[in-house]
Amino acid sequence: MNPAEAEPAEAEETHHNPSDSPQQARFRREVRQWCREHIPRDWRVTQSGVDEAEFVRFQKAWFAELHSAGYAVPHWPAEWAGGPPTRGGDPVMSVENQDVLYQELAAHDAPRLVLAFVGIHHAASTLLVAGTEKQRRRHLPAILDGEIWVQGFSEPEAGSDLASLRTTARRTGDSFVVNGQKLWASGARHADWCLLLARTDPDAPKRKGISYFLMDMSTPGVDVRPIRNAVGDSHFCEIFLDDVVIPADNLIGAENAGWQVAQATLGAERGMTMLELAERLAHAGFRRLVETAPVDDPVVADRLAQFEIEITGLRGMCRRVVEGAAGGPADASIVKLYYSELLQRLTDFAVEISGPHAHTALTKPMSSGWESGSWVLDFVGSWEWTIPGGASEIQRSIIAERGLGLPREPSVA
Amino acid sequence: MILELSDDALEYGRQARQAFDAAGGDELVLQAEKAPGARESLVGPVLAGLGAWELDPRSDADGVEAAAALCRAAGYWAVPYPLAERLAAPTDLDADGVIVVGGERPAAAVAGLDLRWATVDVAGNRAMVSGHGEIQPGFVTELELSSVDDAGSGDVALALTLPCWTLLGMLDRAIELTVAHVTLRKQFGQPLASFQGVQFQLTDAEVERSGLDILAKHALWSATGNRPDAIADALALRLAAIEAADVVFRVCHQLHGAVGFCDETTLSWLSRHSQPLRRLPFGLSATREELADVAGRRGLAGLFA
Repeated sequence: MNPAEAEPAEAEETHHNPSDSPQQARFRREVRQWCREHIPRDWRVTQSGVDEAEFVRFQKAWFAELHSAGYAVPHWPAEWAGGPPTRGGDPVMSVENQDVLYQELAAHDAPRLVLAFVGIHHAASTLLVAGTEKQRRRHLPAILDGEIWVQGFSEPEAGSDLASLRTTARRTGDSFVVNGQKLWASGARHADWCLLLARTDPDAPKRKGISYFLMDMSTPGVDVRPIRNAVGDSHFCEIFLDDVVIPADNLIGAENAGWQVAQATLGAERGMTMLELAERLAHAGFRRLVETAPVDDPVVADRLAQFEIEITGLRGMCRRVVEGAAGGPADASIVKLYYSELLQRLTDFAVEISGPHAHTALTKPMSSGWESGSWVLDFVGSWEWTIPGGASEIQRSIIAERGLGLPREPSVA
Repeated sequence: MILELSDDALEYGRQARQAFDAAGGDELVLQAEKAPGARESLVGPVLAGLGAWELDPRSDADGVEAAAALCRAAGYWAVPYPLAERLAAPTDLDADGVIVVGGERPAAAVAGLDLRWATVDVAGNRAMVSGHGEIQPGFVTELELSSVDDAGSGDVALALTLPCWTLLGMLDRAIELTVAHVTLRKQFGQPLASFQGVQFQLTDAEVERSGLDILAKHALWSATGNRPDAIADALALRLAAIEAADVVFRVCHQLHGAVGFCDETTLSWLSRHSQPLRRLPFGLSATREELADVAGRRGLAGLFA
């Protein structure tokens, strides 16, 4: 090998993370090597403005690539993820190594797993917590083969107040007949299966009459319509359900215990996924902003320094949450709220300093996250964090009530 | 110093709001977005009917107040027309309106209209628009300029101030829409409006909007009196307008929830068409810098000078 070619790699090898154990340092080298060899260098260019078909193809190919390295579902138990056996339900990859993995994927600007997200996190977590062995065998391997999932929770009248959902599932023999409407279902157009919450007992108190179903999106009566948003994007969808028949075998958890199942599994979004997003914000997002910002301007430099501090704080918080160090009962809400609002402020600032022409750059690399560098789209996208998944107002209530022990807001309900 | 519009101007503003409503209201901007070339035929007749082109904001105190009220009414409906820019037309150039420009790539929301535009920068350099670029979102188009003179310092203040009145009208509407939304939308068995956390967000937005309201009147008064501070006052207004718009639209979007980003809600259109006003000719940081340059160490004379 030509010494000049070897130089950058060697320089990178010597760059340790001082807090790595020897084992983590070895793993970091391994992941770096893999990233250099497998992350498509030009994906941001080639995936800008591509059509849906190409986006789906690229996502599935990238998922398969990660999976073949053991990097797609490091949080799954070995029994299902494949790989060396682990104790009980421990993840196939240690939490410390997952930290390293997501740091390095972000540092090497890897594409984000957009389509697989609900499947590998929410669906998997639901199946592992509440699924039957048969349900797990049916779906977990399929998810690894590229089965795409969507969450069918929100409804027009049930957003923050999810428990007031009205979609009904009426039992008839060995099946349920479902009618209703779901809203803000991210990526529903590409989904094979849906995590569906529906009301099975209309007379029970609202949280006690809900059941949780696995719904095949190809069932007759399922109608998906994309919602076009203000910047022309349509990854949110409405799902209309008209006499959709779901076999009773696809009920997950006990009938009328769907709310408890959902509560137990919604947390899947909050741990390592937040760490991954924080790392992406720090690397793909903030680095890009610093590289393009007019840093000679002292006001800009000052704001960037402030963001650097906040991002460092966010990364620290995420790491504490995933490593399970002594924390508070509202840590997950604190992380979500802080990330959401930091993302919004950072992308807003990026828009501000990018000049008017940035406003008309309305394409972004597909498969990027909320830090694509197409700042207007990223800024609009940042509302996907302050509104869904428990709006900032809901997170504040949780922090007040569970974190600080303050009384609940008086309710007339 | 005048911090209230005259009763006549207020009444004119009310009539203008009704006239825009009768001419299509929110439909105007929807139709114009489909066919930017139809903006003149959509909006021109109602403006002519309101006597907009008989107003004389550059030399008549009543005229400038009426012009401000008219811009505010147009903002309320996001009327797809560069009304403020036309009303601020210079008297000594053969132009239908004036656009304040800044930055390396001058642009304005004037696409689809066949009008003669003058431009002026904060230093008073004037030009005529000699060509347009492609139509971009929000009717924005880049402008090719042919230099005229550097005698435009008297054109700047009013040309900066009137678009802020348009933006003020948009904030009036955004808050009105959001109050209606949180009053109607129920979660947890009660209207969102009954949650104090929701109320406080809206009150913060309202405080911003009403601060802008007062400054807009002050800057209008300053601009029409040929006061030495007129440009600084206009830049201060612009800064306050951008900051207020940031807060108001952030709160209104957050409280509307996801539907606020979908085009079936008026907020989505209003917010989108507020962008050119907030970003052109210069955004928050650049406006702050322009103001710092103009005001220097002297500062603003302020309301009570």
